[in-house]
Amino acid sequence: MRIDSEQDAILKGDRGEVISRALRTLVDYGTVFNAKRLVPIKSAHLAGSFGTISYGAYFHVLDQILKEGVRVKVPTTINPRPGHDISLLNRIAFIKQNALDYKLKALGVIPNYSCACYEQDNIPAAGDYLAWAESSAVVFSNSVLGARTNRNSVLIDLCSAITGYTPEFGYLLDENRSGNVAVKIKINQMDATALGFIIGQKIVNKVPVIEHFDFSRSDLKNMGAAMAAAGSIGLFHVEGITPEASDIHTAFAGSEPESTITITQSDLNSLRTKHLDNSRLVVFGCPHLTCKEASDIAAHITGKRLTKNIWLCMMPQAKSDFEKTDYYKTLDASHVSVYCHCPLAALTVQLRRKQVLTSSGKLYYYLEGTEYGTMEDCLKACET
Amino acid sequence: MRDMITSELQGRALVAGYGSGPALVSKTAINFAAAFGRPQNAIPGRRAVINDRHHELFKQNIKGAVLLFPACIGSTFTGMVLLQIMYKKEAPLAMVVQHADPLLIAGSVLAKVWFNCGIPVVEYSREDLYALVRTGDIISVNGVNGKITIQTVR
Repeated sequence: MRIDSEQDAILKGDRGEVISRALRTLVDYGTVFNAKRLVPIKSAHLAGSFGTISYGAYFHVLDQILKEGVRVKVPTTINPRPGHDISLLNRIAFIKQNALDYKLKALGVIPNYSCACYEQDNIPAAGDYLAWAESSAVVFSNSVLGARTNRNSVLIDLCSAITGYTPEFGYLLDENRSGNVAVKIKINQMDATALGFIIGQKIVNKVPVIEHFDFSRSDLKNMGAAMAAAGSIGLFHVEGITPEASDIHTAFAGSEPESTITITQSDLNSLRTKHLDNSRLVVFGCPHLTCKEASDIAAHITGKRLTKNIWLCMMPQAKSDFEKTDYYKTLDASHVSVYCHCPLAALTVQLRRKQVLTSSGKLYYYLEGTEYGTMEDCLKACET
Repeated sequence: MRDMITSELQGRALVAGYGSGPALVSKTAINFAAAFGRPQNAIPGRRAVINDRHHELFKQNIKGAVLLFPACIGSTFTGMVLLQIMYKKEAPLAMVVQHADPLLIAGSVLAKVWFNCGIPVVEYSREDLYALVRTGDIISVNGVNGKITIQTVR
């Protein structure tokens, strides 16, 4: 890797031990992937937002950074809090949350506390180099916004945030952004989330190009999040929809696809639970809901006799906006809770068997004892 | 009559170091954040148990094994949870992966730079890996020159 004179001085410790180590981390990390240089980034997004004692090494590094008074060098946002204050058990599980919040503040992180940072607070432009963590945000910014970030780990994100650099490899380079696998769809009732989940399972780590379908922005967000949980996809294209896929030829950069897969209605249906009445809690908002997404859900459940508890997990600013709407005022508060935390973290520690139904492919993958339903299934289940 | 067969594969050295021990083979990609994300993964000695119900190694402890697997999937917590098991000395001895990705490498690089305890990683992409190595074979991984040595009793 070529190191310029400024970077060389940092590595030698001119700006302190911690910055030197952070840059050393990025050099070693990039070298494995044959990065030729470090490039400046426009922003960072951090995923390490849960204050649990299980992440001792993470806290140890954070403390070393703060001891030298180092702050982030580029605008940097952070993932949601874990719902540390919603139960006694969560207070114990996330006992270090207040300490973590304090450390993040000292680092100069923007306290957006949302995984959907690209909707507000950290909105990249096409072509921007970023160093983001949070798999759902990475896949969204690459695929839907045309920005460029690798799937960076927690702590790699922080090393980039405090140095302002990321190694140039992977999705930062044109040659890795064209499609490899063509995805044909034979579907009469589209469920973008389930489609993303199946694509993640089937093609794991390639760049899929999905044949044209008029997906909404929410569809693309939920589809990408599912791909990045069931697989390790960091970039996808949809013919005629996403910015680097004006047509199939462009999406594959003029080459032939390595392979073609076909996803059918029965593939999608295989994920859906047949027992909508099994659940006690229906969760929406992984990734976090926008005000519009929450309003669309509210429009379906308002005025109904609800039988389940319902969580709407939202971006903090979107929650404030939502609370001003008539939808919010007519919701049955005895059944519906509106939160800003991460539903996965909040529900991970529970003594009782979890009986959760969700329309999130990501939450379904990660949360034990969870069943998956389409948005329609989940809305129906609320009153079943 | 049982014979000891020794064979050697040439992989691509990604993270330096040397590890030798019993092989643990997974034919499906691993979501380490899901695997180590349960509350029971906070228990000393149980930190490296794969608690992902979607995975073939469900309930197996990867501590002290040489882990062979196709790829990582899922969350960007991957590097941090791998770092944590290395930091707590409950990591595998080495890893052989068919397709290395930034999250897997982050774990070992962070452990090396910040705690001087990263485990070696070698990439070996060919499919014959699964024909040549079975769980329980004794395997040595050299993260400097990329050599993988397999001792099999057949």
